[in-house]
Amino acid sequence: MSTRIVVDPITRIEGHLRIEAEVKDGRITDAWSAGTMVRGIEIILKGRDPRDAWAFTERVCGVCTTVHALASVRSVEDALGIAVPPNAELIRNLMFCAQYMQDHVVHFYHLHALDWVDVVNALKADPAETSRIAQSISHWPKSSPQYFHDLQKRLTSFVETGQLGIFANAYWGHPAYKLPPEVNLIGVAHYLEALEWQKEMVKVHTIFGGKNPHPNYLVGGVPCALNIDEANAINAERLAYVGRLFEEGARFVEQVYLPDLLAVAPYYLDWTQIGGGVSNYLCYGDLPTNGFADVARFKFPRGAVLDRDLSQVHPVDPRDPDGVQESIAHSWYTYRGGEDKALHPWAGETKFNYTGPKPPYENLNVDGKYSWLKTPRWKGHAMEVGPLARMLVGYASGQEEIKEAVTETLAALKAPPAVLFSTLGRTAARGIETRLIARWAKEFYGQLIANIRNGDSRTFTKEKWEPSTWPAEARGVGPSEAPRGALAHWIVIKDRKIENYQLVVPSTWNASPRDGSGQRSPYEAALIGTPVHDPAQPLEILRTVHSFDPCLACAVHLYDDQGGKVGEASTSPAV
Amino acid sequence: MSSADVIWGMSRPSPGGPAAPVAAPPPPAEVLILGVGNLLVGDEGVGVHALRALEAETWPAQVHLVDGGTGGFHLLELLGSYPRIILIDATRDGAAPGTVSQFRARVAADFPPALGAHDIGLRDLISAATLLGPLPEIEVITVSVTELKPMTLELSAPVAAALPEVARRVRALLAG
Repeated sequence: MSTRIVVDPITRIEGHLRIEAEVKDGRITDAWSAGTMVRGIEIILKGRDPRDAWAFTERVCGVCTTVHALASVRSVEDALGIAVPPNAELIRNLMFCAQYMQDHVVHFYHLHALDWVDVVNALKADPAETSRIAQSISHWPKSSPQYFHDLQKRLTSFVETGQLGIFANAYWGHPAYKLPPEVNLIGVAHYLEALEWQKEMVKVHTIFGGKNPHPNYLVGGVPCALNIDEANAINAERLAYVGRLFEEGARFVEQVYLPDLLAVAPYYLDWTQIGGGVSNYLCYGDLPTNGFADVARFKFPRGAVLDRDLSQVHPVDPRDPDGVQESIAHSWYTYRGGEDKALHPWAGETKFNYTGPKPPYENLNVDGKYSWLKTPRWKGHAMEVGPLARMLVGYASGQEEIKEAVTETLAALKAPPAVLFSTLGRTAARGIETRLIARWAKEFYGQLIANIRNGDSRTFTKEKWEPSTWPAEARGVGPSEAPRGALAHWIVIKDRKIENYQLVVPSTWNASPRDGSGQRSPYEAALIGTPVHDPAQPLEILRTVHSFDPCLACAVHLYDDQGGKVGEASTSPAV
Repeated sequence: MSSADVIWGMSRPSPGGPAAPVAAPPPPAEVLILGVGNLLVGDEGVGVHALRALEAETWPAQVHLVDGGTGGFHLLELLGSYPRIILIDATRDGAAPGTVSQFRARVAADFPPALGAHDIGLRDLISAATLLGPLPEIEVITVSVTELKPMTLELSAPVAAALPEVARRVRALLAG
């Protein structure tokens, strides 16, 4: 007999994703992923000035605050035919890199590590042995026996006072935790160090974007002036500061994040056989090195991999009306043309139609509509997006830097490429690309400095700024790669106002419900076969879902339409 | 202030110039007034609306006003940079909408639970901050809200009417 278990919410920090799974003989046999909050940014944007759209879209998420602003300004620039100056592209790239470095490190240590690291078990660690292990995997200076001794003392007092705080809701002692106490203690130490570190990294946004959170963007460039001698501009001192932030950021990635990833992975190699899910991967590509129009020279190549066939990369065109489409067979929306339609985002519609149960409820009706997420497909295929998709498309495209970084990591783990199609593979891919991003950031920084030395301080083009220069109608798309995966905004401009605006965000690709033909989306597919030792403590479900880095705030945001807490229906602790 | 202006506050970027102030390294400032919330969810954004209203007034140089938006972990740096913080947020505590309350927060559980649209709630943030060291002195001013309306930037009438009271309490705290 099978048991239905529900995890809601599933993001480690507050979130709005609900997973229902059938468990039989200790393994998941089927799963449903539901976004339990409604979304409506598209409705807010209608009728507004397209040049303002980024500031609204940026507010949908507090985790990756910059990515929607970037996709938004690109969509408007695409519609109006604006090419931004090289320095603006470089500054956008630098903000992109800072976002990735901060976000991936925070994901690894603060949203995902506790699925693998048992905090309470770290109390049993021998500080001297912890120090020996730490020094054997990295040159990171904070590794003395005294350091780990002091840290363990601090942790003990947390646990003894019952003030576990952010560590409180977890399954400590679960048999699926496999790390020795010493490695757990290293994990806890770096959890705390990463909290401090990330505060520094995001200062790049404050410098270039004027403020943080929610830094400023601008259609046609970036809203900051470059002048090495001017106190109120991005001057020599500010630029040097940015350079230091990236240097220190790269050191943390190389000496803490990557060594930890490689130290933890060997204890969990069974997770290279679990959690693969759908076998198709989509990447819009990003980090232009020769202007955004030159897609062939993006650092992250654009393309799709189907059926895990790495010998072929399929071309992807976000403008193709038969390419990206969203359907609502299992989503709480209606389409004018009928429930069975799949719409390209330029023709997209956002009309709510909640038919779910009134909360609190036991189970969703998964045969009908069960999510606030629409279901995106590319040419009818369910596609995984995110770090793994980027690394696979890059690898299959023959991008040398990506190939080398992937190969190097696989060699360190003594594993073949097939292990990437898994829960652990996803987590490893995120680490691999962070290392690449940290290197690329230095490259972009060097180019920016060289441009300024050569006398090019342009950061904005005012061509097409004035609405009087715009055509009566225009359509654009702003593709990007957010840390969680392929993100694009589609805009239709009519009479100088926004006529239609649609976002298809990474977590919609990954966390969406089934499509009309019953194909599962990535989370749903990835959970099948996942072991569940104890249905009351579904740690294993969290491992696989967290490996995607769920961020439901932008996939579905705003609130529970019924005004209640959907979380009350959960049968297991919210983590 | 029109509904759309609230999203910009004092920092609407303009083309061609350094309109946005360039931030200095961690400021040696004394008091931070931090408004948080999501502007896209009607009353949920009251903390940011209140901050916008305060921005229109004149403040001593050591008082810094920051729109924390839905900033999540991005706000951790601010929490560690000021000895004293006045935080303004919405709460769904059952009181009549527009009710203004204030208290001194000492532990994470003192903070209003997230209303769903902050991705990383204040409680999570404060829990994380306590791991890093002693918390600054934090006074929390909350405005009670009931209905969270999606797809609207405007505050409901009773919540909008509470903004002068929030400003009065901020001034009283600073004077005290």
